[in-house]
This record gives sequence, C-alpha cells and structure tokens, in this order.
Amino acid sequence: MSLLEVKNVSRFFGNLRAVDDVSFSLEAGQILGFIGPNGAGKSTTMRIIATLDVPNQGEVILDGKSVVERPDQARPLIGYMPDRYGTYDDMTVFEFLDFFARAYRLKGAERQKRVDSVMEFTGVMPLRDKLTSELSKGMRQRVALGRTLLHDPKLLLLDEPADGLDPRARIELRELLKALAAQGKAVLISSHILTELSEICDTCAIIEQGRLLATGAVHEVLAGARGSNTTPHLELELRLLDGSEPAVKWAERVLLEQPHVKRVVAGGPLLQVRLELAAGTTLTPTWGDETCAALIKALVEQKVPLCSLSARQLDLEDAFMSVTKGRVQ
Amino acid sequence: MSAATPDALDRFGESLAERASPIVVKEVRQGLRTRAFWIFFTLMLIACLVIALVAFAASAGNDAGAGAFGAIFTVLAVVQFFVIPYSAYRSMAREQEDETWVLLTLTGLGPRRVIRGKIGSFVLQGVLYASAAAPFLLFSYYLNGIDLPTIVVGLIFAAAYQVFLVSVAVSFATLAHSKMMRGLLQFAVLALLLGATGMGKGVGAWLMELFRLGTFDDELIFGCCAAVFAMLSTAVLLFEAAASGLSLTTESYARGPRLAYLAQLFGGTVFFIVGWKVMTSTGFLVGGAVIAAVYSTLVGTYVISDRDGLAANLRAERSSVFSPGAYRGYLLVAISALFVGAVFLALATTDSDMRHRDLRMIAAAPGFALLYLSLPQLLARWLPHAASQTPAMVRVVSLGLLVLGVGLPPLVGILVAEPDDKMLNLLNPLVGLINISKSGPSSDEALAVVWAAALISGLAAYVSLKRRDR
Repeated sequence: MSLLEVKNVSRFFGNLRAVDDVSFSLEAGQILGFIGPNGAGKSTTMRIIATLDVPNQGEVILDGKSVVERPDQARPLIGYMPDRYGTYDDMTVFEFLDFFARAYRLKGAERQKRVDSVMEFTGVMPLRDKLTSELSKGMRQRVALGRTLLHDPKLLLLDEPADGLDPRARIELRELLKALAAQGKAVLISSHILTELSEICDTCAIIEQGRLLATGAVHEVLAGARGSNTTPHLELELRLLDGSEPAVKWAERVLLEQPHVKRVVAGGPLLQVRLELAAGTTLTPTWGDETCAALIKALVEQKVPLCSLSARQLDLEDAFMSVTKGRVQ
Repeated sequence: MSAATPDALDRFGESLAERASPIVVKEVRQGLRTRAFWIFFTLMLIACLVIALVAFAASAGNDAGAGAFGAIFTVLAVVQFFVIPYSAYRSMAREQEDETWVLLTLTGLGPRRVIRGKIGSFVLQGVLYASAAAPFLLFSYYLNGIDLPTIVVGLIFAAAYQVFLVSVAVSFATLAHSKMMRGLLQFAVLALLLGATGMGKGVGAWLMELFRLGTFDDELIFGCCAAVFAMLSTAVLLFEAAASGLSLTTESYARGPRLAYLAQLFGGTVFFIVGWKVMTSTGFLVGGAVIAAVYSTLVGTYVISDRDGLAANLRAERSSVFSPGAYRGYLLVAISALFVGAVFLALATTDSDMRHRDLRMIAAAPGFALLYLSLPQLLARWLPHAASQTPAMVRVVSLGLLVLGVGLPPLVGILVAEPDDKMLNLLNPLVGLINISKSGPSSDEALAVVWAAALISGLAAYVSLKRRDR
C-alpha cells in the first residue's frame, strides 16, 4: 500500500474549482515533483494533505489513516514547509528549532539530541547561535527544512522550496532531499524550477487549473508528453572536424543509414539530426543514451571526422509545456 | 560553594522552562530580546524612581503616599493596559502575517494552547513589569497616606483589567486574515487600547480613592466583583471564540465558546439574583432579565453562527448541544435564554414588591430574544445565495434585523402616526419592550403577540435548521 494516497480530491472556493478531482499516490522513499503554474492548485492540494484545509470531495489517506477525518492522527506523520519558510527573525537557529521540538512534545535530553542531529544533518550547526534574520536565504531554508524533520515525519511536503535560491543552495537542497528519500521518507515537492525537479524526482504530477494532467514516473510522463503531440524523438547536433563538402556528404550518408535517424540538415561542419522512435518500439528511460552511443560507434567505425555530439533530450520542462499545451499562467 | 548558587538557579530555570508551555518560553525569549521591552522597562523604572524621589522630598510632614501611589499606578497603567496588550496583538498578528501560524497548529499544540500561551506569556511580562515597580509601590506605603488594602485593591483591579485587555487584543489579532483587515484592526486596536488605558487609569484611581476614604460599601464591593467577573468571563469567551475560529472543521471547535457563553450567562444571572437578594431591589430582576435577553441575542447569535451539519469524524461520535453545527448551537442558546428568562420570571413572581408592568417586561424579554435569535437563522437560510448561509453572513443578517427592528418602526411612525405607536412598534425590541411595560390592557395583548411571533419563528427555525443538519 502507498504511504500517501490522494483520491479524487476536489476543493471549491465559490465557483472556482481550485482542485478538481485530483488523484495520485506516493511510496515511502519516493520523491514526487508537483508541477504546475501559479494558481494551478498545487499549494491547495498540499494544504489539504497537510490537514490545513478540508476538501469538498475526495479522500486523502496517509499511512492508512484518513487525513480528512482524523487530522490529529495524520499530523505527526507530516513535515510541512510552506513557500515562506516561517522562521522567527528574532530567534537564534537553536532557539527556533528548540521551540518547535518543545511544541512537538520532545523532552529534555531527547529534545537536545534531536535538535543537534537535525542541525548536523542540515549543516546549520555552526550557525546555531545566529539570529535567523542574519542568515542567507539558503541557510534559512535549511533551518526551515530542519524544523520539518524534528518529529521524524514519514511524509515531507515542501512548497516551492527552491524558489529564490542561488544555484549552490539548490544543489545542496537536492542532495539533502535525496538523502532524506534514502532514509525512507516520502517527499512531495512543488517547484517552478523544472530542471531541478527532473534531477531530484522519481515521479511527477503535472497540474493545471486544478486538474491533474499527467502523473507517474518521470520517464513515463516524458513518454506521455512525447506521445501527446509528436512521435517520441531526439534532436542531435554534430560538429565535424572537417567541414569540406565530401566529408559532410559522407557523414550525411552514414547518418541516414542508421536506425531511428529521420532527418539530417547540414550547415557547414554542423549537422542537425532528428531521431524518432520506431513504431511499436517501447520507449525506455535510457533510449536516448543508448541511441546516441550506437550512433557515435557507427560514425567512428565509418571514419566520419566527428568532433562533438550533443543531444537535447525532452526534459520535464518540455513535458510540462507539452502536457499543459504551454498555457502557463 | 559560590558557583553552586548560579548552577542551582540555572537548573531551576531549566526545569521551569521544561514544564512551561513552549509558546510561553518562545514569547519570553522573543519578548526579552525586543527593543520595545527594554525601552519601556527602563522608562518605567526611571519614571518610578523620579516619582519616588519627588514624593520623598515632598513628604516632610505630609502624607505623600497616596499621590505617589497614584502616579506610579499611572505609569504602570500605560505599560500594563497599552504597551503589553498591543505587543500581544502584534505578536499574534505577526504569526498570521508570517504564516508561522500554520506551522504552530501542525505541531499538535492546537489553537487553544497557542492562544493560551500567548495570553499567558504577555501576562507574565506584565508580572515582570509589576515586580520591578513593586518596591516603589511599597515605598509609597511607607510615605503614609495609603494603606495596604487600597494598594491590594488597585493591583487586583489592574491584574484583571490587563488579562481582559490582553485577551481582547490577542482575540482581535486572530481575525487579521487579510491585509485590509489587518490594517483596519491595527487602528481599531490602537484606538481601543488608548481609550481602555485612560478608562482603566480613571476607574482604578476612583476605586482606590473610595477605598481609601472608607466609602467602600457592600454595594460597591458587589459592583467590583461583578465587574471583575464580567472582565474575566469576557476574556475567556473571547479566547474560546478566537480558538474556535482558528480550528479545523474536523475538530470539536464549538464546545469551548458554547461553554464560555453558558458560564457567562449563568454567572451573570447569579450576580443579578444575589444583587436582588442582598440589596432587596426588584430592579436587579428586571435589569437581569433584559440584559440576559440582549446578551442571548447578540452574543448568542455570534456564538452559534455556524455551518450546517458537522464533519464526518464528529458525526460518528455522540453529538450534544456542544457539538459543531448551527442546529445544536441554536438549541443551546434558545433553551438557555428561555431557561434564564423563566428563572427571572419565577423569582419576580415571588417578590411582593414587584410591579405588574415590570413583571410584563421580564416576561417579554426572553420572547424578544427568541424572536431575534430565530429570524436571522431563518432569513439567512431562505436567501437563495449560498454565501448568505455562512456564519459571518448570519451575524450580519442578525445585526441588520436588530437595527431594522429598532429603527424602522419609529421612522415609519414619524411618517404615518406617532414614533412610539404601539402597533407599529409591536416587535421593536427596544420601544416594543418599553411599551409592554406600560400599564393598560393592550400591553398584555402585545405580550401575547410577541410570544406568538417568537414561538412561531422559533419553531420554524428549529425545523429549518434540523432539516439542514447533515
């Protein structure tokens, strides 16, 4: 059984359907990227899962317990980080974590141990006596993440955690989340920064105007996105050492003989190559890598003066734009 | 040995903090770090010191204690009645502004513990200020002219008033959901606290003067006890209403405010009955019945305005009049208003001094309460738009009906007949009630009409609410 099951959840505000019949599930140790434009219903869905709102219809089951009917039993299992981190400016890092540890009813030495271990894990131990207002955004985000971990929840709900972070802080966040997933925690993370999500998430759910458009493993969603409007394909750019006409003609000929290659457009030493998945072939997550490797091997064997090859695979951004038909709000 | 004492103190402090509410620990930590705390603390100490020195210099041959105490009380009033309640308001409002509120509720602390912790921590800050001023208050006693009981009366009054104001401020802050509301509330709270500080200082000084002069009779003691009860019970009611407003629909949010409502209604009734017995004045029964009716209508409507039905998890449990839902709330307030009215009427009939016209007024008051409790519930549910059935809209409809009921008949009366025309003002909760108390056979008929209207609307509201209670 999944750790989290969201079943046909709807939430209306007057005539507005903020969340409309949304269903997905999440296993322990999995990271699910919740993708959607502003106002798509991501935060409302997360708030419902976090017991902060009640759906008009549907059910949310967390570890076998109904979040809607027994929020008191579900709350200890949830670590929720809103888009604003919710730190108190006039408290030190230690005081902030200590306060929430007290609020989670951790006592004496146990509380001290837990706060220390969370500070160690999130890397804020050297900052323990600094006021949170004096921290950088990345560090404050780590403190906020630390707060969500104090009571050792099974499910982490992170609403736009990477928003406004510099690249270094984003990479560090990614590593922290991967470490948490490795510990068996389920993570539901929403973000606009889709390239980041594609590197972190195993699964993703794309939501727009309250409706879930696609959900599943990242490569399945990518496949779905490809299938939604075009044949699954791969765009490659080849650069030759020798830009002379015979060399380019030779390269074109060799390329067109290779499986999946549908089109080659030459422009001097640069060749744009389009590969398409043959009908009836199953798309796998490694299809792009395997096809590129085979192509390079063939080109080298045929003595094509290859200098470089770069592939542009469909990523979550493309999938998102494809699934939502580009209707970003 | 010398190091053992600080260690022991540290250990004591730690064990105290371990037992205290996390919110209190947090607020005290945050409060002691704010510039405002230290500025006002220092200013208060300097002011007290200056007052004490001036009083000491002027005390040669005079009883300067009363003047010194009054001045120190004024300084304390500014801090206790304005600075601390306003800081409490800001602290609670900031939790909403910074969205830390949701994080607190998720910890399992719950709205009641959070709000209680907020109120407790600011009352504790008040104690801190008061203990710093205590040596100066004691010093005023040694300057003669004021006795210890007077000082104690002043401090009890100040403590009750501060708890009341802090509760009002924190409860107000829980309403600050939107930016516009926060802006409006900010001004409202500032104005309220400024007025309350002036009033508190004035009433405190007046009470202490009466006590000092020995004119503190039984009636005044009774009045003081009633005022302290009114302040503290209102503080509890506001606290419960605020906690209820911040609870989830799946929580048993209605119990606290409904219990607090009942406690205040019945507690107030007891005060009026005691007043009637001790001071042998029938006015207490008439006043009690009318005030109970007004209280049931206004506060009752606020307390019971609720969504129809109750959450699935609560439906599985055995429901009572304290369970959520407009239907159960209506039953509780209607029955309690009728019960209290009946108690006053029963006691009034035993009093040989009671005039017939007053008896009619006592009999009519719960009828008006039932009428104006039932009509908004009915009207809100008959309106076609779903928004009219929200608790907030029921409150607005209730207030609107009261304003119309009081104001419209006299206005029409001015145009067509007399402003206090008996027929026009038959169901006017103000003029109608006064007319009923006037002598004449038509008053008995008017009383019957009011009760008929009250019972019909009450029955219709009961049926309508019960049908929607799913």
